[in-house]
Amino acid sequence: MENATKQKILLIEDDRALQAALTEALVQEGYEVASAFDGEEGLRKIAETQPSLILLDIILPKKDGYEVLDEIKKTPAKDIPVLILTNLEEIDNVQKALDLGAKTFMVKSEFSLKEIVEKIKGNLSQSDKIN
Amino acid sequence: MNFVARCRKYGLGVWQCPNFLFLVMGTITIAAMFGTFFVSRQFSDEGVTIMSVTFMSAFIMTIGSFVIRGVENVAEANIMKSEFISIISHQLCTPLSAIKWNMEVIETERDPARCIPDKQMAFLGNIKKSNEQMLKMVTDLLEVARIDQGRAVFESKNLDLARLVEESIDGFQGIAAEQNVKIESRLEPDLESVCADGKKMKVVLDNLIGNAIKYSKESGRIEVKLKKENERVVFSVQDWGVGIPSHQHSKIFEKFFRSRNESRYRTDGVGIGLYLVRAILKHCGGEVWFESEAGVGSTFYFRLPAA
Repeated sequence: MENATKQKILLIEDDRALQAALTEALVQEGYEVASAFDGEEGLRKIAETQPSLILLDIILPKKDGYEVLDEIKKTPAKDIPVLILTNLEEIDNVQKALDLGAKTFMVKSEFSLKEIVEKIKGNLSQSDKIN
Repeated sequence: MNFVARCRKYGLGVWQCPNFLFLVMGTITIAAMFGTFFVSRQFSDEGVTIMSVTFMSAFIMTIGSFVIRGVENVAEANIMKSEFISIISHQLCTPLSAIKWNMEVIETERDPARCIPDKQMAFLGNIKKSNEQMLKMVTDLLEVARIDQGRAVFESKNLDLARLVEESIDGFQGIAAEQNVKIESRLEPDLESVCADGKKMKVVLDNLIGNAIKYSKESGRIEVKLKKENERVVFSVQDWGVGIPSHQHSKIFEKFFRSRNESRYRTDGVGIGLYLVRAILKHCGGEVWFESEAGVGSTFYFRLPAA
């Protein structure tokens, strides 16, 4: 897909050190990156930037990842793929996020940046096909 | 009064210390028996005897309740310790992941103008290695907490154990070379896969093979074997290292136990490796055992049902 505009990814993550590394890795891959540091800001940025994909943490200030997932569903942004990136690895968390419509669940401590980028690429090419 | 000192160490007062309270209760019970005996001999009145027996029983019950409360305190302290470890481990995950990812950004920089000189890169490599060690420790601690609380999730599918063993050995080649330890392996080909969780089995293999290397003497060798025996797959790893003194044999699978052998302060670890190994194998319907002699070496085995 050769597009004049870059594909946009929204990172909703409250840890700045994680944000910085993720942003750099995604920019290097040629994506445009928008950041939000809490759930409310995340929802606002989704409406403003209309990203192609959202990377979402679960434990977030103001609104947690589940609430964000739940609210996205009620908006026109409901078809944007959401990938969960968290350190809550219990099966209940995974199930709840997937039930709420998340595409993938990734545990931060188990994934390298390279693997995360791969997952993002995979999900973007999948949603391209659907569109 | 050894146990009083021990209770102090646990942060319990004397009157909360189960051992001390038991001693008090025992003494009072004996005294009460004699007391009742003499009272009933002295006074032929039944009422007095009944009164004294009732009084003594009430007294023993009161002391008994203190004993139970003391035991509860100890149990509660244990739960709090587990929760504390779990919370700390969880909290460490985010900063450790941040270090890992930021290191990765530096490593994968393509622009030569922004690249870090090789010498500095070697130091960054050290940071990365240390960080991986910490991450491993934290994930192991979280796994222990999950197993203890019955929250561990086991994915069950057929597994190519021989391949997994090879993978684990490959991962240790660097460390083994540093220690001049040679890893020899005899893995039976065409081994039927066993039913177990791949990620967790990797933890088992890494711990057993890692231990064998860790406790090997400088310039030694270890031998890894995998074979089939009566519908079961048997794994073994043998080293000719420091070995485990016989009086510690019953304890080595306990949580947080670290052998007091000559390597105690020369090797790292928090004493959860073998605890995890046993818990995981038990979950997969297998068992683990070992043979060891101090100064001679150890062989660790496990058995799993073949698929």
